[in-house]
Amino acid sequence: MELWGEDMREQFPILQREVNGHPLVYLDNAATTQKPKVVIDAMNDYYSNSNANVHRAVHTLAGEATDGYEACRTTLKKRFNAEKVIITGGTTEAINLVAHAWGKANLSTGDAIVLTEMEHHSDIVPWQMLAKELDIELRYVPVQEDLTLDMEIFEASLEGAKLVCVVHISNVLGVCNPVEKIISLAKQNGARVLLDAAQSVPHQSVDFQELGADFMAFSAHKMCGPTGIGALLVANDAFEQMEPFMGGGDMIETVSIHGSTYQTNEHKFEAGTPKIAEAIGWNAALNWMDNIDLESEHSRLLSLARWLSQELRSMGMTVYGRHDEHDAAVVSFLHPTMNSEDLAHLLDARGFAVRTGHHCAQPLLERLKITGTVRASLYFYNSKEEVEKFVKQLSEILERFA
Amino acid sequence: MSDLITLEELIEEFQEVEDKMERLEMVFELSEEVDFLELEYWNDLTRVRGCQSEAHVLVTIESDLVKLKAGADSKLVQGLMGILTIALRDISPTKALELTPEFAGEMGVLNSLSPSRSNGFRNMFDKVMKEIKEKM
Repeated sequence: MELWGEDMREQFPILQREVNGHPLVYLDNAATTQKPKVVIDAMNDYYSNSNANVHRAVHTLAGEATDGYEACRTTLKKRFNAEKVIITGGTTEAINLVAHAWGKANLSTGDAIVLTEMEHHSDIVPWQMLAKELDIELRYVPVQEDLTLDMEIFEASLEGAKLVCVVHISNVLGVCNPVEKIISLAKQNGARVLLDAAQSVPHQSVDFQELGADFMAFSAHKMCGPTGIGALLVANDAFEQMEPFMGGGDMIETVSIHGSTYQTNEHKFEAGTPKIAEAIGWNAALNWMDNIDLESEHSRLLSLARWLSQELRSMGMTVYGRHDEHDAAVVSFLHPTMNSEDLAHLLDARGFAVRTGHHCAQPLLERLKITGTVRASLYFYNSKEEVEKFVKQLSEILERFA
Repeated sequence: MSDLITLEELIEEFQEVEDKMERLEMVFELSEEVDFLELEYWNDLTRVRGCQSEAHVLVTIESDLVKLKAGADSKLVQGLMGILTIALRDISPTKALELTPEFAGEMGVLNSLSPSRSNGFRNMFDKVMKEIKEKM
């Protein structure tokens, strides 16, 4: 398969459409990525030919559905070298699962959790809710002027902390945090670590066991898979400390009117009919991604992001990002006078899809003393020509409207 | 666009334009129609809730005519305020209350905006109508 050439683009049906009479240029990949035809076909095939509920049934369709669902888990375990993979509804649900299944069983009044100002709301709000319920302390590591975490404050905040929750790559800045160091320091201080990897796993290979985190959460839809599904990777010893969160079918071993016993594997945390079609679609996406050399794609996208940032700065924009070696190709920017939503509306009129607003990271924006940015985020199917077109269009808009 | 344009003429003008960029440009230009509410008067009472931008309106009634002052940090939102200004120009509170927000739909303006912006327009319209009713 030719990378970033027409071969790649042709595999994404949506990229053939026009928006407002112009070819779609999709630059909102940090929010969600587009789906290759293999993913759409896999889900369509499941509903057309194999639709059935999974696990406890002996008929052929149920067997096919179970195999399809469990194949996704197997692929995830292999891809990320993970001991336990709980299939969830996405990153948010995975983090909430840790809060309920591990947090409630292992934290109590007076304990502390370390978070950072760079977190997505989904890695802040569940902990605020838990803190209120259990009366535990939340310590926030500040983001510095150079957009990195203040590691001195981080180290100091570890004293007595039971859990560290940190985002691997910021969805606003694209900044990749030094997670190896963070995990190592947390472990030295006896704290468990939850990694929000929603923005990192679509761009880089991550070896969960080698990294040493206890929990890692991410979503399928940011890596060419369907919406509504994600995963929580869990280290074996942390898994043993988790209590069931949701009760119901599939997570039990036996049920009587006197009480129930639970499964001992990941199913214990997957109550009810799971996301079968989504798992089949995600598995297709993961297998499709095996054809992509993530490292060379990352370096191609990063150099496009660097070029774009430079062009934006020369147009008088403020760019919030640094685009170091491991950072993602996310470019957040602001025009000095033009409202960011106005700009995004005008770009949409010419077929360009970008995101505006607080990107669900209000504490970070508060630190940066802004209320929102325009964000262009790149993925495999974005070409150099598209980024050049984007710059040209922005320049025309500014000339006409700013 | 003349400052004496009527709502009917404005609807017609918008309907003639197919290109979204041109339509947005027209909304931008309509921001000039607004009697600007100075920043010092922006407060919780003037704020349009449910609007993603900072948007403020102040309604008064003078000599049985509705007077609208408004302002926003977005030119598009202020353009929508300009449309409302034209719709309310030189009409009595009773006449104003006969207006429904459908005229914006007829113009095709809301189709050119994100759902949050078009909801914002409806919230702005509702707030203005509520204030007219209260001040009659």
